[in-house]
Amino acid sequence: MEDSSFTGLPTSHLLGSVPAVIVEEDKTTKHVAANGGDRRPGGYQTIGTPTETFEQQPTNNWRGFFSVSSYSQYFDVDTDAVMTRLISSLNPVGGDFFSKIDANPDLYGLIWISTTLVFVLASVGNLATFLMQKHGESSTSWSFDVSYMNTAAWSIYGYAIVVPVAYYFFLQYMGSKASLIRFWCMWGYSLSIFIFSSFLLLIPVEFLRWIITLLTGVASASFVALNLRSYIEGNDLSATIIAAFVLQIGLAVFIKAWFFA
Amino acid sequence: MSHSDTIPLHASSQSDIDEIENLIYASPATVLPARPPSPPRASIPVSSSSPFMNSNLPNPAPPKSSFQNQIPKPPSSSSSSLPPPPPPSTRPADISTSGFGPAPNTLTEPVWDTVKRDLSRIVSNLKLVVFPNPNREDPGKALRDWDLWGPFFFIVFLGLTLSWSASVKKSEVFAVAFALLAAGAVILTLNVLLLGGHIIFFQSLSLLGYCLFPLDVGALICMLKNNVILKMVVVCVTLAWSSWAAYPFMSSAVNPRRKALALYPVFLMYVSVGFLIIAID
Repeated sequence: MEDSSFTGLPTSHLLGSVPAVIVEEDKTTKHVAANGGDRRPGGYQTIGTPTETFEQQPTNNWRGFFSVSSYSQYFDVDTDAVMTRLISSLNPVGGDFFSKIDANPDLYGLIWISTTLVFVLASVGNLATFLMQKHGESSTSWSFDVSYMNTAAWSIYGYAIVVPVAYYFFLQYMGSKASLIRFWCMWGYSLSIFIFSSFLLLIPVEFLRWIITLLTGVASASFVALNLRSYIEGNDLSATIIAAFVLQIGLAVFIKAWFFA
Repeated sequence: MSHSDTIPLHASSQSDIDEIENLIYASPATVLPARPPSPPRASIPVSSSSPFMNSNLPNPAPPKSSFQNQIPKPPSSSSSSLPPPPPPSTRPADISTSGFGPAPNTLTEPVWDTVKRDLSRIVSNLKLVVFPNPNREDPGKALRDWDLWGPFFFIVFLGLTLSWSASVKKSEVFAVAFALLAAGAVILTLNVLLLGGHIIFFQSLSLLGYCLFPLDVGALICMLKNNVILKMVVVCVTLAWSSWAAYPFMSSAVNPRRKALALYPVFLMYVSVGFLIIAID
C-alpha cells in the first residue's frame, strides 16, 4: 500500500469485480522472476504473500496460468524504459541489450512491435505494390489485397514467437543458460527496425529497395547475433549465432519479396 | 465483503459496491437512480410482502392462518404456493419503477418494450461517451450502465460496411475487420490490465465499442461516395473524434508514467481501421 496505487493491483482475478484488496506481491515476484528467469507463470509461488480472505491466490498451480495478474510482472515498464529499449535496438553493434533488460524483461515490446509491423506491412505493402505497378505501367488501378494482412500476421507473429522458443529449448539442451522471456524481448525489439524500413521501401525503384532491404536486414541480424553472442558466452555455439543472423536476414528478404514485390 | 478494507477505493468500484449493498439491504424506495428505470440485472425478490397481500385479496376464503403462514416464508417458495394471482400486468408501472419488481414483468412485457429499453440505453451510453459531456473524464460516472449490445452493433455494422464497399473478397474483408475489432478490444483491455491499470474488463470493452461510432459514420460516408480525397478527409476527422472519445477513459486508467503505453495500441487499432476504410475500394 505504500506503493503508488497503480502497480500490482490484482484487479482481474474476477473479471468485472471490485478491486478491493491490494496484495504486496510485487517485490516478491521480482525475486522469483530473477532466478534463471524461466517463464513459470506461478507469479504466486512467492514467499510469505499476505493472505487475504476474499481473493484466493493460487500458489504454484495451474490457475495462475489463466490469471492476468500473474503476467503483469512482464509488463512492468514505463514509457521511458520502452523508448530507451527501442532506441537501443536500432543500434546494431551495441551488444549489451541483454544487460539492459536483465532486471526487467518486458513482453510489451514484443507484442506491440510485432503488431505494428503486421499492420505496417499489410498497409504499406499494398501501397508499395500499387506504386510499383504504376511505375511500370500507369494504367493500373488501386486494389487492396486483404490477404496481405493474413500473411503478415502469420509470418511475423510466427517468427517472433517460434524462433525464440526454438533457441530457448536448443540452448537449454546444449547446457548454456537461456531465458525465454529475455529471448522474446530481444527478438521482439529487433523487429522494430523493419517498421522504419517498410516506409523506406515505398520508393518504387527496385534496385534501391534491395539495397534498403539488405542494409536493414544486416543491421537487425547483427543486433540479434551480437547480443546473442554476448549472452551465451560460449565459443562452441557460434553455429547457432550464425543461424540467428541468417534467419533474420531471411525474414528481411521474405518481407521484401512478398509484400513489396 | 468490502467492510474490512482500509484502502481508498477507485471511483468506479464504489458504484458497484453501492449497487451490491443496495441489493442486499434494499427496500424498493431507495433504488439507485443511476440508470433509467430498468429491471435489475440480478432480480432478487427481496422486498416487501405487498405483492402477496394484494394477490390474496381475491381469495378471502383461505383461512387466516395460511395467510399469516405465507408471509414469513421466503419469497421464492411462497410465490409458487400462492393462489393464482391476478396477472402482473395489472400492476405495471409501480413495480418496474421501483426496480426490484418480480421477474415475470420483464418476461411478459412486449418485445417492443425490451427492444426500446435496450435501444434507449445504447443511445444514452453513446451520448455519454462520444459527445462532449462534463462527466467524460470520470470512468465511474461515464459508462456506469455499460452494455455490450451497442458495441456489437457498431462492430458488425462496420464490418458489413467495409464488406459492401469491397469489390473482391468481401467475406475475407468482413472477417478481417470483425476479428481486428473484436480481438483488438479484448487485447487492448488486457494491455491496460497488464500494465497495472484499473479498469473493469467489460466496461472497457463496451467503451471501446462505443468509440467506434464515429468510424462507422465515416465508413458509411466512404461507402456512398468513392472519392479518395474525401475519404482521407472523412477518415482523418472521424479518427480524431474516436481517439478523442477513447482518450480520457484509457489515460485515467493507468499510471501516468505509462499513459503512452496504454494509449498507443488504441491509436494503432483506430489507425488500422481507418486505413482499411480508406483502402477498401
